[in-house]
Amino acid sequence: MAEKLGTGAENTWCPGCGNFGILNTMKNVVEKLEEDDIGREKLLISAGIGCHAKIFDYLNLSGLYSIHGREIATIQGMKFANPDLKVIGFGGDGDAYGEGLSHLIFAAKRNADITMIVHNNSSYSLTTGQMSPTSEKGYKGPSTPEGSIEEPLNPLMVMLSAGASFVSRGYAGKIEHLTDLIVEAVEHEGFSLVDVLQPCVVFHDDQYQKYNQAVEILKEPAETKYEAMELTEKTEKLPIGVFYKEDKPVYHEEIYPDLNVVEDKINKDERREQIEEILKEKA
Amino acid sequence: MTEKPFPFKPFIICIGEMMSEIFTYIIGGKAGEGVKKAGAAAANLFSKMGRKTFKMDDYQSLIRGGHNFSAVSTSIDDIYSHYMEADLIVNLDDRSYDLHKDHLKKDGLMIYNSGDTENGEGIGLPIDDLSEEYSKSDLIKGVTGIAVLSAVIGLEKDELENLIEKEYSRGVDENLSFAEEIYDLAEEKIDNRFTLEEGDDDSPIFSGNEALSLGAASAGLDMYIGYPMTPASSILHFFAAHKKDLQIMPIHPENEISVANIAVGATMPGARVMVGSSGGGLALMEETISLAGMTESPVLFVLASRPGPSTGVPTYTEQGDLNFALNQGHGEFPLVVASPGSMEEAFYLAGEMLDLLWEYQTPGIFLTEKHLSESSMNIDVDPSSVAWAEPKKFEDDSDEYKRYEMTDDGVSPLKFPPSEDVIKWNSYENDEKGITTEDPVKITKMHDKRRTKNEKLIVDMKEKETVNHFGNSGPVIFTYGSTTMSVREALRAGKIEAKIVQPKYLKPFPFWELEEYMDQDVIVVEQSSTGQFASLLREKCNIIPKTVIRKYDGRPFEPIELAEKLKEAI
Repeated sequence: MAEKLGTGAENTWCPGCGNFGILNTMKNVVEKLEEDDIGREKLLISAGIGCHAKIFDYLNLSGLYSIHGREIATIQGMKFANPDLKVIGFGGDGDAYGEGLSHLIFAAKRNADITMIVHNNSSYSLTTGQMSPTSEKGYKGPSTPEGSIEEPLNPLMVMLSAGASFVSRGYAGKIEHLTDLIVEAVEHEGFSLVDVLQPCVVFHDDQYQKYNQAVEILKEPAETKYEAMELTEKTEKLPIGVFYKEDKPVYHEEIYPDLNVVEDKINKDERREQIEEILKEKA
Repeated sequence: MTEKPFPFKPFIICIGEMMSEIFTYIIGGKAGEGVKKAGAAAANLFSKMGRKTFKMDDYQSLIRGGHNFSAVSTSIDDIYSHYMEADLIVNLDDRSYDLHKDHLKKDGLMIYNSGDTENGEGIGLPIDDLSEEYSKSDLIKGVTGIAVLSAVIGLEKDELENLIEKEYSRGVDENLSFAEEIYDLAEEKIDNRFTLEEGDDDSPIFSGNEALSLGAASAGLDMYIGYPMTPASSILHFFAAHKKDLQIMPIHPENEISVANIAVGATMPGARVMVGSSGGGLALMEETISLAGMTESPVLFVLASRPGPSTGVPTYTEQGDLNFALNQGHGEFPLVVASPGSMEEAFYLAGEMLDLLWEYQTPGIFLTEKHLSESSMNIDVDPSSVAWAEPKKFEDDSDEYKRYEMTDDGVSPLKFPPSEDVIKWNSYENDEKGITTEDPVKITKMHDKRRTKNEKLIVDMKEKETVNHFGNSGPVIFTYGSTTMSVREALRAGKIEAKIVQPKYLKPFPFWELEEYMDQDVIVVEQSSTGQFASLLREKCNIIPKTVIRKYDGRPFEPIELAEKLKEAI
């Protein structure tokens, strides 16, 4: 099965790129979801623009290759239109935490039933390594030759503040752990974020080494949102796993508890009768 | 009220010299005094009398205070505009009296608020004193309008009560009591009486935004997504109010960028989607209009214009966004732009466009203006005559599915998830299966495919009614959009014999319908300062107008004024 998940498209990531770990993880994820009766025909993917997004071409799954930061809105559209589908968005850190941050915050706020996987490599790599929202202070890139003067964003803190019902972090170097994490995120009813530490071998030095030493697996989610927030502030050790999880009403079900506007589409005659009613009421 | 026929004798008294058959009512006051509601209540009353009615609301971008007015004109025959020469003007404050005192027809009736206006001409009513006794002392002032109107057109008190119960059901007891006080005073103080003939028209009154919403709904719309921006917001409100009966999902997300991308995402599993905004909002969506062009996503974008540039004059009207609409989206892709010339046409055109966009899998812009979006008039429509938007679907399961399969007409059959086949839509240039490509041969082929769609679209449009013609002889007047209504009414007001040519479709531009006008002296009427529509005619058809009548003060043309301008031009 796993082979069929490739498309045959030429892979153009740099050798050793952390994105390979995420691609391999996704192939495992699809198989595991199928074991849980979520067939791949029901999966839709989207991606933004950047190195991360090439995963769209490499995974033989249906979807829409979106634009920078907008994949978060794209997958919400897919989900609202047909809630029977499971939707997964791939974003980069520039993409989801920069250009598309407002979409991410509001998707969390409304608890849209989507999964966002953010390939967080702390640089704009495809555009030659400029600083990104999560680059460390002092990061040197072509737009910040003297080093970034901005503090990095703490995206998990932002997500917790926005009311995200599933907030997690994984590591592209720990495929088994990341597989289970993404499966759990996809199966979570409501908004889920998986921030993935994704080493960039060109614009950062030794990120694999750093992450291999720093990551520590969380045994279970924090009990409260505030404890989860504290976890996101850790920098010496980097917790990976589910930081926070809660059950909340899901956006599309709050609009229509039982109606799928595509699958249960109103028929032509019924719609027209409704319109005739509206016309008559005013006549 | 709704059951009983009106007790009027069908005779017409002379209430003006030029156009005795048209009755115009203006009500003005502060925002928060129920002016808009008063206009709507009057329009509904005229409509119930079987008369044709046009209502225009003039309001400012504020919540309380300022000056709002509603102008409602009614006739037994079709009427396409409000008039500013009124038979009855009801002023709820002194500012309104000041602004409208020159709008009264000879023999017209002016009502002013004697609590606010000293030494007014006409009839003063103590609106302030009376309204003070009620809990909503500001809002209730608007009820004055329907009470006075009822008295002067000869409605019995019980008919007024029925009207109040229907139109002012919230806080109905106070509204009834106030209305009766006004009615009694009016009966006592006012000698003038207007007799309005009853008509036999039973078509309902709708705003352009409501009409276009109903049209899109008739074509099978599944979702409407919008972020509030005047004058498009009422489309969102309409779908939110009709969420249950129409089963069209209303969504109000964080911004217009999200609006447009939710829309494109929703088309991929097959939802028929419409979005709407004004110029500033559409500017934010433009990135996604290009995405829709590349992914071949059939989203219908409503652009309800107001005067620009930038924030401009939010609650007024202009046609300054024509070029903006025509040139949406970076890169080359088929884009359909059409603009309705009446509320009724808004209904049919929205339905037709949704169908057309799904047939050709490309985005389109429904261009309108505040004057059409938010004014109201009678529409006589048949939902069953609107095509139910269905795309060309992939049927041949023996073949491998390719989202961007090459075909003769450039249109690739659609398949929707869930599906065993992989369906990939792509913002990058791509191969037939939707995988990103930088291959020069494939790039060329995909450009050819999209261009072929556009060529086929034009062939199809040649079979459609893309241009309206009104009148058979006389000088030729070109116009489009809401200004069409102003021109039609101006011809009647000025008793002008002319031929109106109104392209409904603006992109692709129906030049094939217009060749005969190439060497003629034509007049162009539009609401833009630079004459964008006139330039378009010149560019597309080499039609060189001898006169371009432009108006760009935010207000729609007034028929009598426009008639004068047309006479000068002719």
